Amino acid sequence: MIEIKGLTKTYGVGNKTINALNGIDLRINSGMFGLLGPNGAGKTTFMRILAGIVNPSSGFVKINGFDLTTESGKHQIKSMLGYLPQELGMYTELTAIQFVDYMAILKGIDDSRKRNQRVHEVLEMVGLAKESNRKIKGFSGGMKRRVGIAQALVNNPKLLIVDEPTAGLDPEERIRFRNLLVNLATDRVVLLSTHIVEDIGQTCRDLAILAKGQILFRGSPTELTKAAENHVWTLTMQGMEKPNHDLTVVSMLHLAEGTQYRLVGSNAKDYANAQPAQPGLEDGYVWLMKQSNQMVEMI
Amino acid sequence: MKHFSLKYTLLTYRLDQLWFPIAFWMLFVIVILIINEPSQSTDMSLAYLGTAVPLIGGVMAAYAILDDPALELRFATPIRAAQIIIERTLMIFFIQAVCAFSFYIFAKSIDVDFSSIGTVLDLHLSWVIPTITLIALGTFGSIVGAQTMIGAFFVGIVWIIQIIIRDGMAINNWKYFYIFMGITNPEHPDLHANQIALLALSLIFFLCSWILLHRQERYI
Ligand SMILES: Nc1ncnc2c1ncn2[C@@H]1O[C@H](COP(=O)(O)OP(=O)(O)OP(=O)(O)O)[C@@H](O)[C@H]1O
Ligand SMILES: [Mg+2]
Repeated sequence: MIEIKGLTKTYGVGNKTINALNGIDLRINSGMFGLLGPNGAGKTTFMRILAGIVNPSSGFVKINGFDLTTESGKHQIKSMLGYLPQELGMYTELTAIQFVDYMAILKGIDDSRKRNQRVHEVLEMVGLAKESNRKIKGFSGGMKRRVGIAQALVNNPKLLIVDEPTAGLDPEERIRFRNLLVNLATDRVVLLSTHIVEDIGQTCRDLAILAKGQILFRGSPTELTKAAENHVWTLTMQGMEKPNHDLTVVSMLHLAEGTQYRLVGSNAKDYANAQPAQPGLEDGYVWLMKQSNQMVEMI
Repeated sequence: MKHFSLKYTLLTYRLDQLWFPIAFWMLFVIVILIINEPSQSTDMSLAYLGTAVPLIGGVMAAYAILDDPALELRFATPIRAAQIIIERTLMIFFIQAVCAFSFYIFAKSIDVDFSSIGTVLDLHLSWVIPTITLIALGTFGSIVGAQTMIGAFFVGIVWIIQIIIRDGMAINNWKYFYIFMGITNPEHPDLHANQIALLALSLIFFLCSWILLHRQERYI
């Protein structure tokens, strides 16, 4: 279990400071937890703090009872951690087996027989058993990510942190990856960050939206969808006319009778022919971002 | 738990950087063979052991820790900062030691005269001490600046300045920090104090590097 109180992180860049995290309070229980947010929201910073790589500026983090702000607590946490960074760098001259084996050694798995068995097991789990004796430098992006997840899993971590793991994967690979994570989440905390709304909806019962270093929302995907209830509309307009600025265009479709828009906004009273629509997860996200003035013009 | 594997430490080392010590080694050997003159051979051999080996060690050390593609993954494992420093700097030192010893054997085989330096131990200390010092400086420089280049720059600057003003370095209080005293002033009365001071300084560099390496966010 993860307990976070008043977490802040400030970066100093030259003589300016950037508040990457602005007072985060969260409790995260066992299972899949999704962290959703736009670029620059602070997701990577948050995950690096939980992985013990970045030190918080203030606040308090406890993971399974260990205090992350102490050196010894950090050491304990790293001993039960699996981490897949957003920008995954690897030793590409090694084969997949060698790389995962080396990471297992660094994580302290000394018994070479057990280690060997576990390395093959995780490579099998990510579907790389056949390619495991090839050098990583010949791998595709998706295969590299799979090696990345294999090394994260090799020590059977109690806490698995994956930072935008599905970026750059094809749809099939993404689905495989999501299913793998869900299976893993049965008996551990899996923390997944993404800016792809569907990835979370399909997998997490619990999620948070992070924007500008603050938690905007905490709840289930259903609750997120509900947030946009009565705020989603479809509207068909003729010619060059565009919906006014109070309404955010989520999608548009050019039809014979004009352009059909899907809109999110508090009301569409300016338009008599606007029809209320069923909200989806993405609408919920857009609505919340709009509420907090995080939304930029979409068209 | 040992968290260590010699095999992978070697396999993950940037092997392409080995051209650097090998090229210097071959250059000095070839030049000495071509010139083939006893006093020149002695000077060239001392220059190699006492100045080239430490320089190469220092520059390689600047790249040894931070020039690591999987640094973020490494930082997320429970290995200690001290281990990272020891593992990497020992390897750099080992490479220099292999170069220096093989060069020494080569020099002996063509009867190069090292008697001006003193005993065999004195001769070897005259490259071991500066090599440790510049490795420590290179490590410290790259970590304090959070950039490999800065470590290499520190090493290069100190090396060139001390070579240029070597006579001045041996006389005033700078004498304790004169890296090349073992080969240029082997009979200096303060040679031992100089060696101890350099080792102490290296230790301080390593300690500072160790403390600073705990702030992992500076390096990713
Ligand atoms: N090492 C750093 N030094 C200075 N500023 C940083 C550093 N790392 C992150 N930031 C800043 O902190 C803010 C949050 O960045 P972060 O990488 O955590 O966002 P993110 O949500 O992961 O974004 P993305 O979706 O693009 O990966 C950004 O404004 C970024 O510029
Ligand atoms: Mg990120």
